[in-house]
Amino acid sequence: MAGFEFELSRNITIGQYLPTGSLVHRLDPRVKLLSFTILVIAMAICDTYVGNIIALAFAICLFYISRIPISYGLSGVKPAIPFILILAVLQLMFYNKVASGGTVLVDHGFILITSDSIRLVIVSALRFIEIIFLSSVLTLSTSTTQITHGIESLLRPLKYVKFPVHEFALIITIAIRFVPTFAMEMEKMMKAQASRGAEFGTGAWWRIIQRTKDVFPIIIPLFNVAMARAEDLVLAMEARCYTPGNERSIYTKYKAQNKDYIAILFCILFASLLLLFPFPY
Amino acid sequence: MIEPLIKVNDLSFEYKLNNKTSIPVLKGVSFDIFPGEYVAIVGHNGSGKSTLSKHLNGILKPSSGDVLVSGSNTKELQMLREIRQKVGMVFQHPDNQIVATIVEDDVAFGLENIEIPAATMKDRIDYALEAVGMSEFRQRPPHHLSGGQKQRVAIAGIIAMKPDCLVLDEATSMLDTYGRRDILNVVRELNDDGMTIVSVTHHMSEVAEASRVIVIEQGQIVMDGSPREIFQQYERMQQLKLDIPVASRLARLIHEYDEEFQSDLIRNNEIIQEVVRLSAKRGVFVG
Repeated sequence: MAGFEFELSRNITIGQYLPTGSLVHRLDPRVKLLSFTILVIAMAICDTYVGNIIALAFAICLFYISRIPISYGLSGVKPAIPFILILAVLQLMFYNKVASGGTVLVDHGFILITSDSIRLVIVSALRFIEIIFLSSVLTLSTSTTQITHGIESLLRPLKYVKFPVHEFALIITIAIRFVPTFAMEMEKMMKAQASRGAEFGTGAWWRIIQRTKDVFPIIIPLFNVAMARAEDLVLAMEARCYTPGNERSIYTKYKAQNKDYIAILFCILFASLLLLFPFPY
Repeated sequence: MIEPLIKVNDLSFEYKLNNKTSIPVLKGVSFDIFPGEYVAIVGHNGSGKSTLSKHLNGILKPSSGDVLVSGSNTKELQMLREIRQKVGMVFQHPDNQIVATIVEDDVAFGLENIEIPAATMKDRIDYALEAVGMSEFRQRPPHHLSGGQKQRVAIAGIIAMKPDCLVLDEATSMLDTYGRRDILNVVRELNDDGMTIVSVTHHMSEVAEASRVIVIEQGQIVMDGSPREIFQQYERMQQLKLDIPVASRLARLIHEYDEEFQSDLIRNNEIIQEVVRLSAKRGVFVG
């Protein structure tokens, strides 16, 4: 078992809230969610070198403003590196029809590399990192509770088109609420199985199939437990007068302040800069 | 005459497996629960005690017979919300009844369901968390709490709704001694403040707290009386595979040895008082 972590509940990164009390932390969660969406869209569309470098610099600045060490962002990028690399290879091999402009650099058999496809690869990698940074800042500066409250109150207008806003928010809340519970449950099961001779994480990391098979004896009991818990939870919710679709009052209400308006205005301006300014490269 | 808060009238319940076979769980149970009572429902596993408790706020509906809460029948769907507001219920598993990601929101959940305006909600949450001694935990996520603390939050979620009656369905069975003691203290205080308590349990030390005990065996009430009366019937309890509290057993043993020692004691401090009383009487001073 050397080197394998059984303590899953300690490694949960979801909702890794880091309270530093900075300006970003104190912003209205709705504003943060909206700004996040706007910025991500702008970054996903912007396809110039200069634009993306500016966006990356902006994302790094956000870490400083929110007083969160940049290492948190980098640790988020680390697990994404294999995906970035795979994506880069795929783009180089198969995107030459789309990005066939520019000067031809390599033309060997079916491999065709142009300056445009190089740009595509680098820009995608940058985008990836920018978006990871942004979402790190969002989740590190906003507690999961604030995020779910924010989502609920942003979606509230959709109530008028019969979208079950509250139910949707409740699903997210319950999902987040039970992540640590299930992590602990899984930990217990792994220990129980390991004590009866099952092996977890002993294979080398590149033996993906073996390591995937290792998890099967956990998945099914975990589903089983999840169902039992869900049944209990339904009873407890019903006992507290929960009726799906009923009107409910709302405990947490947010009120946007001046700094929130300024923040969102700034984000909109920055996003339009990325989208509209004709960057030379 | 005082009206009963909960009136159970010839209640029978069976789990239907399919059209032909069904398993009877409760057979013609009748009893009344009056405001301010502290009732313990005991019975060994499979006796139907948990099923019975789930009838008290309409989670289960009787197959025949009626359950009336302040005169409203649990079979009437439109009364259900009012009934559940009057009779709150705390369940066995501390983890499976907390809905929200922080304590405060979880207590608010029930209040949101019964459409309490946001302005008065805060006071109610303050009051409920104060009552269970969890005020300083209001911003904590539930997975940072111990089992006993989670159960206290669950109780807070119920009492914020200001029910007349609190039903505890084996609410302490997953807790350690300290967690259980905390819950019992909270429950005792609530009862002192006038709340009706119905506690389904198999811990006899909890039963000694109650003012009345109902013993269930194979879906029927076999004993109903004060804990003192019930624990006196030692052989009957053994027949029903039920324990009696250590204090009660000890009192019996001493009584066999010394006729003058009272045999109907059920609490630890009663034993102490009796020892002090007898010693003083015989010219020895203890304590």
